[in-house]
Amino acid sequence: MNSFKEETNARQALYSFIARLMLVEVDEKFLESFESEANLLSMFPNYKEWSKKKEFSRADLIAQYLNVDFTNLFLMHLIPYESFYTRDDQMIESGGNNPIIELYNSYDFRVELDKARVISPDHIGVELEFMYMLCSALQKAQEADDAEGIDDILRVQKDFLEQHLLRWAPMFLINVKRESITPLYHDGAEFALDFLLSDFEYINSKLKKSC
Amino acid sequence: MVKKMNQNRESFFESRRNFLKNSAYTVAGTTLTLGVFKTIVDTPANASSEFTSTPKTLFSYPNPKEWDSYVELDGNDWKRGGIGRRGIKSEKNPEGITATEYMLVPTACSNCEASCGLTAWVDLSSYKKGGQLKVRKYMGNPLHAGSRGRNCAKGYAAQSQMYDPDRIPFPLRRAPGSKRGDGKWVRTTWDEAMSEIGSKIASLLKSDDEVSKKMFMYQVGRPNENGFGARVPQSLGVDGWNSHTNICSAGAREGTIQWTNDDRNSPDWANADLIFLQSSHAADAGHYFQQAAGRIADARKRGAKLVVMDPRMSNSAGMADLWVPCWPGTEVALYLYLANRILNEKGLNGDSLVNHNFVKKWVNWDRLMSNKEYLSLLVEKGYIKSVPKGDSYEDFITMISEMYSPYTLDFVVKECRIEAKTVEKLYDMFIDAGARVATYIWRAGPIGHRGGWMNARAAFLPFVLRGAMAGDKGGMGLHHWHVISVNGKGDKATVSGVAPDKVDVWNELAWPPEYPLSAYEMSFLLPHLLLDDEWRAKWNAKGLKVPEKLGVYVPRIYNPVWINPDGFRWIEALKREDKVELSFNLSPTWSETNWFCDYVLPVGLAGERHDQQSEATQPSRWLSFRNPALRVALEKMGWKPKNPARATLEAHIEAGLGEIWEEVEFWANIMVDYVDPDGSLGVREHWASKEDPSRAVTIAEWYQEAFDNLPNLKAAAKIKYPDSKYPNYEMMRDMGTWLEEDNIYKPQERPLEKEGDAYIVEGKRYEASQVTKDKFGTLLVADAHGEKEAIGIEIDGEIMDGFHTLSKKLEFFSEWFAQWKWPEYAVPIYPKSKAERKEMIHLVTQVHHDYMNGENEFALNTIFRLPYNIHTRSVNSKHLMEISQNHNPVWIHTSDAARLGIKRGDSIKVTITDTLCGLESGYFIAMAVPTEGTMPGVLACSHHAGRWKLKNAIEIPGFEHKLGVLGLGAPLFEMHMDGEIGTMKPLEGIKEGMLKRPDTWQFKEYNKDLDNIWWDGLSGSWQNAVAAAHPDPIAGNHAWHQKVIIEKAKQGEVIGDIYVNYANNMKIYQAWRDQLTRPLEAGDTLRRPVHMKRPGPKISKKGYSVEIIG
Repeated sequence: MNSFKEETNARQALYSFIARLMLVEVDEKFLESFESEANLLSMFPNYKEWSKKKEFSRADLIAQYLNVDFTNLFLMHLIPYESFYTRDDQMIESGGNNPIIELYNSYDFRVELDKARVISPDHIGVELEFMYMLCSALQKAQEADDAEGIDDILRVQKDFLEQHLLRWAPMFLINVKRESITPLYHDGAEFALDFLLSDFEYINSKLKKSC
Repeated sequence: MVKKMNQNRESFFESRRNFLKNSAYTVAGTTLTLGVFKTIVDTPANASSEFTSTPKTLFSYPNPKEWDSYVELDGNDWKRGGIGRRGIKSEKNPEGITATEYMLVPTACSNCEASCGLTAWVDLSSYKKGGQLKVRKYMGNPLHAGSRGRNCAKGYAAQSQMYDPDRIPFPLRRAPGSKRGDGKWVRTTWDEAMSEIGSKIASLLKSDDEVSKKMFMYQVGRPNENGFGARVPQSLGVDGWNSHTNICSAGAREGTIQWTNDDRNSPDWANADLIFLQSSHAADAGHYFQQAAGRIADARKRGAKLVVMDPRMSNSAGMADLWVPCWPGTEVALYLYLANRILNEKGLNGDSLVNHNFVKKWVNWDRLMSNKEYLSLLVEKGYIKSVPKGDSYEDFITMISEMYSPYTLDFVVKECRIEAKTVEKLYDMFIDAGARVATYIWRAGPIGHRGGWMNARAAFLPFVLRGAMAGDKGGMGLHHWHVISVNGKGDKATVSGVAPDKVDVWNELAWPPEYPLSAYEMSFLLPHLLLDDEWRAKWNAKGLKVPEKLGVYVPRIYNPVWINPDGFRWIEALKREDKVELSFNLSPTWSETNWFCDYVLPVGLAGERHDQQSEATQPSRWLSFRNPALRVALEKMGWKPKNPARATLEAHIEAGLGEIWEEVEFWANIMVDYVDPDGSLGVREHWASKEDPSRAVTIAEWYQEAFDNLPNLKAAAKIKYPDSKYPNYEMMRDMGTWLEEDNIYKPQERPLEKEGDAYIVEGKRYEASQVTKDKFGTLLVADAHGEKEAIGIEIDGEIMDGFHTLSKKLEFFSEWFAQWKWPEYAVPIYPKSKAERKEMIHLVTQVHHDYMNGENEFALNTIFRLPYNIHTRSVNSKHLMEISQNHNPVWIHTSDAARLGIKRGDSIKVTITDTLCGLESGYFIAMAVPTEGTMPGVLACSHHAGRWKLKNAIEIPGFEHKLGVLGLGAPLFEMHMDGEIGTMKPLEGIKEGMLKRPDTWQFKEYNKDLDNIWWDGLSGSWQNAVAAAHPDPIAGNHAWHQKVIIEKAKQGEVIGDIYVNYANNMKIYQAWRDQLTRPLEAGDTLRRPVHMKRPGPKISKKGYSVEIIG
């Protein structure tokens, strides 16, 4: 059980990390925290070796490279919203017809769009942060030794990945990888894709065990 | 980088397959979470029956039927959870959501030229509780066919502009005993001002001599109305109209006039398959930004491609399918290259790429081929090898195929400094789109350069050859097909009942004899002409009567001091009371110009005035009707003005906005009560009410008659308001917009209207016996000047309207242009070698790369708008100024920056130098930003930033509060000028200035955040003042771009500093005038071609006539 808890902690942290990476621009605090985690940094091999890090201060790196890339990838050229990928007309559904809102509502969650700076709650960063929330819920269930609750939450996580994130995020992340001009977002996209796929396998394996 | 990164794929994957096992990363990750989810806490359900969280249908705007009283839940409260949890606020439920009753008054934005619809949301709830009547927000107008309920940031800014803490609250007069520019002001009343101004105008009219009729000048910035302003000087019988146009769009107009005798093209963006923009203008921030961008987005959604040709990677270029960075001013080479390939290559199926059906029918090739003398000139000039033997259409195509064959890929690559693959891709995209290619030729190339007009002239050639100029779906129509101009046509509401007579004089201060083909007035030269005694003496000796001064100068919502080149020259002229005897600015805001005027008379913003405005934004004819929201709301609630001809002024005072008026009522009142109270000058009858001749015409009377000129509007109003005395006015008051005609395609092919044997053209009747037909099929009548005027054309037995030109066809060959002294440029052409560039200097940009020799010499691209900052109009909007801070550095290519050792944020000195006469103008200091978003060798710095003021606030004797000056938009500067050298140095930023007076006395509830001003505004320089005037010798436009030399700023030089040798600038203007123009001369009988649009008052044949003593 201890290993399961640690794994949940790690999953929660990784969802938190990639949600943050894809939701807003990075800041110096983020980079500092990220670069101080050797294990995590090792999963960003291009970023780790990026020569620009030596040439520029973190502030300049952010202003001149990372923010430019973020703007290009998440605000201008790519569309980080599920409805764009899943609707035939490729329109972003920001209103009540978006099934994701119904889903959040059913768990009494509301997205603060202004804080998230997104136009619709089916933004990749928000969906990843929802997975983070579910991991937090899983932690609580684990703390309470609530086996039924654990099982329920794992199923919700599985369903959410299956019916939402994995239906579209791989396509988006592949696009991010191709369009990115900095190693942070290139590696970040590849990392996120890999993590989502393996996390789905992980959840399934946990559910099988609990059956 | 991406390629390199992708090569690392394998090792990367292997390194991290099982991340959960190495899960050291736990603590920091959690702290990084943004926390965008909120768990809902239970709140009491207390829903009201009036509102529901689950409406059956969703709508963007309230139904217009509810606009007079519409109750809306407060947006801030709504975010807390909706009425389902909190209910509606009441005494019993103080925690509920506030519901506010609004009246929605439609109006139109006035911040740029697009005239998007707005609705002003007037708060009735607060007013009914005893508060002042206020507008709480501006939203879009869903009824507006052009803007479709949408607005850009500038539209919503109408609200912050309205309640600007530094709004001018009442008329101001220069303090007695002070000099212009001293900044000493006293409060006055509208009647005191009108009394002095009116008697001064009357004294000019009473002189009744030719010169006095040139001494009144009404100069508009962006007019944002259609036809009212020009009526003002016309009713006075004076040639006293001036505009800003020659610093704006004269080059594009000139080239378009030669093809079409129309002002500009009008693209059908929404149905185009290729959007081909030259510059960022249409989709980024310019004509007609929000509407054009919306239509372009619609087209792209349909699959249309976007190409942006611009030396700078603009927002538009950044999201285009192809960015074509082209050396500024050389675009003509690229257009003629396209023409060459269209003419000399075949399509994939072996067919000609030329749309022969269209070109043969609608281009004036027949006139060119029959003019052997002109064809000989083409041979002499080396454009073609020999005069064609035949004069058939096929001979024409063969001839021009030869003429454009030298514009090859190699040539264009060198001339435009562009990659071959980009050019070829552009060509393929152009051909793929067939006739569905849309462009808008306006700013950038055509206004940036000497010969910029040829930019427009050449641009349309490939479009013509492909049939995209046929006015058909997805291609291009023309401006006058798509606009409505009735704002000055309320004549029937006045005592006279007819339009004022034509004016018999010609004002050389606006239309100097060196520039007979100028698209619009030579407005930016006004101070130069006023102060150039030698020039005046020269022309007076040749028999003209050039005024030596202005009696009354009236800028209208215009800031010529700041926006024109050579700003110190403007200040010099405005300060001279012997040159400008009386000046007043009709202006909603403080401005650099106001500072040097005698009166500042505050007029209304978008929701505080009446105008009819229409713009050609799509193939339809729509209009906007601007309404003063507070007045309309008060009147609808039963309020009545004491004087119905001054209702807008009275309403604004009643509502606490201030003594804010509007031009329509102002001009009617001053003419009737002060200029010509007894009617002896013949002015009063044009402004006094027909209903009650004792007073000025009212708004309802005027617009009832003005809108009566639109048959569909008139019919609808009659049905909708059957019992109203002013149904047209009332309908427009309630709708704010009207679509008179939709889906206007190929109007040139419409049969010429006929009644019996007579032709009806623009409301005039021509009996068949008056009409002759020339050998080219053009139907001709005698015009008001006795000259021949074309009214239609017969092609293949059909008599049609045709285009607006003298030939009724698109004019590849501009015969009249050849006759007006410029034969070598009467067909689209461009020099192909350095030797030709010297000979054809009129077509060569002053920033051509020929002129760039040193490693620190650059072309400076100045003409691009910032999407949220329009010339001088947005300085009174808190949020627009906030978001535009630090957005105007000098863009420099990374390779250039590296070579010169310039880093991001470095202050650089930008010295402007003239390539014609070699004189230096001075310098400005700006911040450099190395970027790959501009071409090597080309700098970019928009001339839309760098506002200034000389005092933070002024004291008004007897008034308890200081009046702030441009508190949110302009930092404080120190200015020195001695007649030759002018300098500016920043003293204090906005933040410091504002912190000294954070509790504004005006509009407090809208300005609670003035202690939170963070920006200093010191991010731009007044580069316009450094720039010398570069009058294009033909189009008359100021050629904006500059050759500059850059270096790092020295110690003590800070961003915002400028140093101007404006004595040199005068010499530069004179060099451009004397070395390049072909002025009127002995033997010339007309001031200007009569068929060319001549903006402002209508001029009689006498006014057009001239005799130059040689």
